[in-house]
Amino acid sequence: MSDVAKPVYAGADERGGRAGMWNGRGRDLVVVAIIGMVTFTMPLWLVELGGYEALATKIVIWAIFALGFDLLLGFTGLLSFGHAAFFGTAAYITGLSLKHFSSDVIPAMAFAFVGTLLVALFIGFLTLRRTGIYFSILTLAFAEMIHALVLSSTLQRWTGGDNGLTGLHYPTLLGMNLRGIAVFYFCAVILVIMFLVAQFLKRSPFGLMLRSIKENPMRLEYTGINVWAYKMMAFLISAMYAGLAGSLMVIYEPYVATKFLHWSTSGEVVIATVIGGASTLIGPMIGAAFLMYFENVVQGMIGEQWRLILGLIFAAIVIFLPGGLIDIWRVVWRATGHKLLHGRRHNVPDMELTEPRHTDPRP
Amino acid sequence: MEFNAFFLNFLTGLQLGAIYALIALGLTLIFGTLGVVNFAHGALYMIAAYAAVLISRSMGFTYAIFIVPALLFLVGLLMERGLIRWFYDRPHTDQILVTFGLAIVIEEALKWIFGANNIPFALPSWGSGQVLFYGLGATVPEAIPGLRIPMPGIEGFTFFPFWRLLLIGVSAIVVLGLFVLLQFTRFGLVVRAGMRDPQMVSHLGINVTQKFAIVFGLAAAIAGVAGVFGGPVTQVSPTVGLAYLVPSFLVVVIGGMGSLLGALVAAVLLGMASAFTTGFAALAVDPFMKGFLTALQQIVVYLVAVVVLLVRPRGLFGKKGVFE
Repeated sequence: MSDVAKPVYAGADERGGRAGMWNGRGRDLVVVAIIGMVTFTMPLWLVELGGYEALATKIVIWAIFALGFDLLLGFTGLLSFGHAAFFGTAAYITGLSLKHFSSDVIPAMAFAFVGTLLVALFIGFLTLRRTGIYFSILTLAFAEMIHALVLSSTLQRWTGGDNGLTGLHYPTLLGMNLRGIAVFYFCAVILVIMFLVAQFLKRSPFGLMLRSIKENPMRLEYTGINVWAYKMMAFLISAMYAGLAGSLMVIYEPYVATKFLHWSTSGEVVIATVIGGASTLIGPMIGAAFLMYFENVVQGMIGEQWRLILGLIFAAIVIFLPGGLIDIWRVVWRATGHKLLHGRRHNVPDMELTEPRHTDPRP
Repeated sequence: MEFNAFFLNFLTGLQLGAIYALIALGLTLIFGTLGVVNFAHGALYMIAAYAAVLISRSMGFTYAIFIVPALLFLVGLLMERGLIRWFYDRPHTDQILVTFGLAIVIEEALKWIFGANNIPFALPSWGSGQVLFYGLGATVPEAIPGLRIPMPGIEGFTFFPFWRLLLIGVSAIVVLGLFVLLQFTRFGLVVRAGMRDPQMVSHLGINVTQKFAIVFGLAAAIAGVAGVFGGPVTQVSPTVGLAYLVPSFLVVVIGGMGSLLGALVAAVLLGMASAFTTGFAALAVDPFMKGFLTALQQIVVYLVAVVVLLVRPRGLFGKKGVFE
C-alpha cells in the first residue's frame, strides 16, 4: 500500500510507487501464488464446506468467465448483458466438434475460439456503434437473437433444439482421458494462466487505456485516441474468456444445455462479477465461487427460493456495497478507524454521471 | 400472399405492435425524463398481468381495467421514490444493475407465489369470440354469430379474434391520450421542457423531480394497461416479462431513445416484420424456403434492428446530440 500523502487517481490502482516488495511485481507474484494455492487445493477443502469435488471445477470455469467479464465491466466500464452468446456459442461449437469431429479437446477449443471470435466481432461491431446504455440493451438483444436462432426448428437437426446437444464423446487431451479430477486440474491450470494474462493486461499500457476510457472516453477521444478500437479489443478479449469458459463447461460435462445461451447465463455472470466486486481481478473470482456455491450447495438448504434470495443479495450489494464483497474489508477498515483508504473505489463510474443527474449530462 | 391472408397478417402485426408500443412507450418516457434504462419494466408488465388475473377472478374484469393501472401507478411511484432516485447520481451501469436486480426479485417472487407455469387468464364473456370481416358481395351464413365488419377487397369472409382487435384499439387510445397529455397540458409542457433541459426547468422554480416521479408512475400505469389487455394474449407466466422486454428495448433503440413517435413507428414496424415473416413461413411450400423462413421468423425483429443500427445508428427519429 502506498502512503496516504500520495495522490491517488480515481480508478487507478492504489499500488502507487515501485519501491518495496509489497508493491509492484512482488505483490503480483504473491497474489498469483495465493490464487494458485487456493485453486489447486480447492477439491480438498471444498468438500468440508458441503460442496463436492466437481463443484470445484464449475467454480474454476465460472471464475474464468467472470474474470473476462470484469475486463469489460470493471476496467472498460461497459456492461454487457449478452455474454451468454459467447459462452453458449463456444459450448455448442465444442460440443459439435466432440460429437462429429474428434474427442480431442484441442481442435474443439480451437474451433470454439474461432467461432466465438466471429460472433464477438459481429456483436461488437453492432453494439459498439452506440455508447453506454445502448450497449447493455443491444448486447442483451443480440444474445437473445443467437439463442432464438440456435433453438429454432430449422437448426434443430444440428443443435438438438430444446433438448440441448447430447451424445457427445468423452473428451480426451492428447489421448489421455479427461474425466473427474483430471478435468479439474486442466481447468485450474487454464484459470491461473488466464489470471496471469488478466493481470498482465491490467498492468499494461493497454489496461491503463481501458481504465481511462471508463473514466472519460470523451477526453480520450479529444486527445486523438481511437476509443472505439480499444473498446472493441476489450470486448473481444472478454468474449474470448467467456468462450474459453463455455468450452471448458462442455469438457467438464459432455452435454450442451440450452441454458448456456439463455440470457440467465449472461445475468449470472453479471451477478457473480458485481457480487464479488467489479474493477478488481480477485473480486469476480470470489463472486463466481459465491454464485456456484449458492447455486449448488445453498440451494439444497433453502430449496426453490434460492434464486429469489440471490436476487435480493445482488440488489442489496448493488445498493449498499457497490464495491462488492471484496470491498467489505474496506468498510471494516473504515469502521475501525483506519485512514488507509483513499477514496472509495467506485464500482463502475462513467463519464456522464460524475455529477448529479440534474445537471444535464446531455450536450 | 392473397389479400385475406395479407389482411390478417396486417392485423396480427398491429396487435403485436400494440403490446410492444405500450411497453416501449413507458421505457422511452422513463428514459427521456429520468435518463434511466428500466430493466424492470417487463417485471412491471408481469405484476400488472398477475394482478389483472387475480382481480378479474375475484371481482370481475371490469374492475381490473380500472384498478390495475392505478395500482401500477402507485408501484411505479414507489419504485422511483424508494429506489431509483437514490441512483440518479450513481453511474449509468449501477442504475441498470439495480433495475436488473429488481427485475430478478420480482420475477422470482412471482414464480414463488404463482408457480413457474403460465396461469389461465379467462377473457370476460363480452370479450371472447371472433370478428367477421366480409368482402363486398360476399354471402355470410346467418348462423355465424359475432360482430361483422365490411372490408373491401376481402374474398368471402374471414375471422380475427375480437380481443386482439380490442387490444389494438386500447393501445391507440392510450397513445392518443399520452400525446394529448404531453402536447396540450401544462404538465406535459413541463415534462417536455424537462426532457430537453432539466436543469433550466428547475432553475425556473418548477419541481422537476416531482414531475418526473409522476412520469415514472405514468409509465408504470401504461405497463399496467398493457398487462390487463395484453395478458390474455401473451399468457401470464414469470418468463413473459423478459420475452416482451427485449423486443420493446429494440423498439426504443430503433425508434430513437426518448422519442415517443419513434417508439410508436418502430413498434408497428417490428410487429409487422414479425407477423409477415410468420405468415410467409406458414405459406411456404418448398421445404428449404420453409426452414429458412421459420428460422427468420425467430430473429427478424433483431435483423430489423441490425439494419437500422447500420444505416441510422441514432434510430429512426433520434436527433443528433440527444442521448448519443
